[in-house]
Amino acid sequence: MRWLRFLIGLLIALTLHSLLGSFFPNALAFFNPYIVLVVYYSMGGNLFGAIVAGVIAGLVQDSFSGSLFGLHAFALTFCGYLVAYINSRLVLRGPLAFGLSLVGSVILHEIVIFILVNFLQNRKIDLFEQGMIVKTLITSTFGVLIYLLLSLFLREEPLEATKRPTSW
Amino acid sequence: MQVAVERRPTLLFLIVLAALLVVMSWSKKTRVVGETRTLFERSVMTVFSPVPKTVNLLGQNTQDMYHGYLDMRRSVAENLTLHRQVAELTKENLMLRRSYGDLSRMRSILSYSEEFSTPVVLAQVVLLDTSGRFKSIILDQGSDAGIEVNDPVVHPGGLIGRVVLTTKDLSKVQLVIDTNSSAGALIERTRRQGVVRGDGRGGLQMGFIPSLADVVLGDKILTAGIDGIYPKGIPVATVVKTLEGKDLFKTIELRPTADFSSLEEVMVLRTEKIPPQVVGYQP
Repeated sequence: MRWLRFLIGLLIALTLHSLLGSFFPNALAFFNPYIVLVVYYSMGGNLFGAIVAGVIAGLVQDSFSGSLFGLHAFALTFCGYLVAYINSRLVLRGPLAFGLSLVGSVILHEIVIFILVNFLQNRKIDLFEQGMIVKTLITSTFGVLIYLLLSLFLREEPLEATKRPTSW
Repeated sequence: MQVAVERRPTLLFLIVLAALLVVMSWSKKTRVVGETRTLFERSVMTVFSPVPKTVNLLGQNTQDMYHGYLDMRRSVAENLTLHRQVAELTKENLMLRRSYGDLSRMRSILSYSEEFSTPVVLAQVVLLDTSGRFKSIILDQGSDAGIEVNDPVVHPGGLIGRVVLTTKDLSKVQLVIDTNSSAGALIERTRRQGVVRGDGRGGLQMGFIPSLADVVLGDKILTAGIDGIYPKGIPVATVVKTLEGKDLFKTIELRPTADFSSLEEVMVLRTEKIPPQVVGYQP
């Protein structure tokens, strides 16, 4: 069931990606729907699920964007794993915890992308700091709104939506 | 195997990251060579391609609908504007036609008024009563315009009647077709004189024409100028029927030359009246 939800979320993220790409091409530079999905899913604390979610969402994002194939998959997997790891140790729940996790994840995601691009393609991203701040603010704001909407309709915390591993 | 992997998530995490680094490196190499997409990337794209395609299709349709809606709104607004323009142009056209009709009539009246040497007052008919027992019209000019009782009223079509009452700004005219009206007249062709009266049915009768007089259908009847009211030579009627009378005179039925049902503008002739002492003089 949780994988079905993830798949639906992924389709919605891809739809948003397509819509924004079609009507507001610059919007994707400031809003990343995939990271909202991965963080939401990883908030359950399932490390294995977070890795798989990060890889799949990242590969889909890479397929339909002009970046290196695997770049976003790497960054999203990294973020998802970290969020899931923290949530497996600390029981974080609620929109504030989700918002803070999202803020940290977006910053981390951008830093990982920056390092990988610098390392693999030997080039620097223009206006990195400014872009990261704007993207963090917009993605976190919209992410929390989506979280609130999902909480309203699903009546279920992401913590209970996924299963924790029995052991490390 | 799955259980082992789930129990070692950190190991899986590292393996996945390493694999992704390899994928990225491979992707970078193929891009340098010129192949923009790897087989794996193309496969992922193929699996998920229906989503962007559907979004694009829906977006296009939505845009088309939106533009269609805008076009429709524009067409509706344009249609309303054109309707208003048509209404305004129709109104303007009607006014122009009416003005043209007025101009034609005024030209006709003015040219006709030049035939008279007496002063002429142009007047508009404001009330037309030809259906009752007393046939009369009311004009929009009165004594202020110099109109007096017994002034003859004419029209390019022929004789209309005479003024019987005046106020400052209105005049009442007794039509020649009224049964109480009478006018001295003559047959144009033979110059035989008689008296024309209204027959009460919208027509005229001519009396005092001897039985032996030469009268044929179509003869034109003019004012004779012998009654002290109407000037000589104004068309009055046309002979439509002649009957041999029981006594010495014929019964002659006439059709008025003027159309009394469509009177709009008429002329009042300000004639010189015969002084009463002259009329009543007895040697």
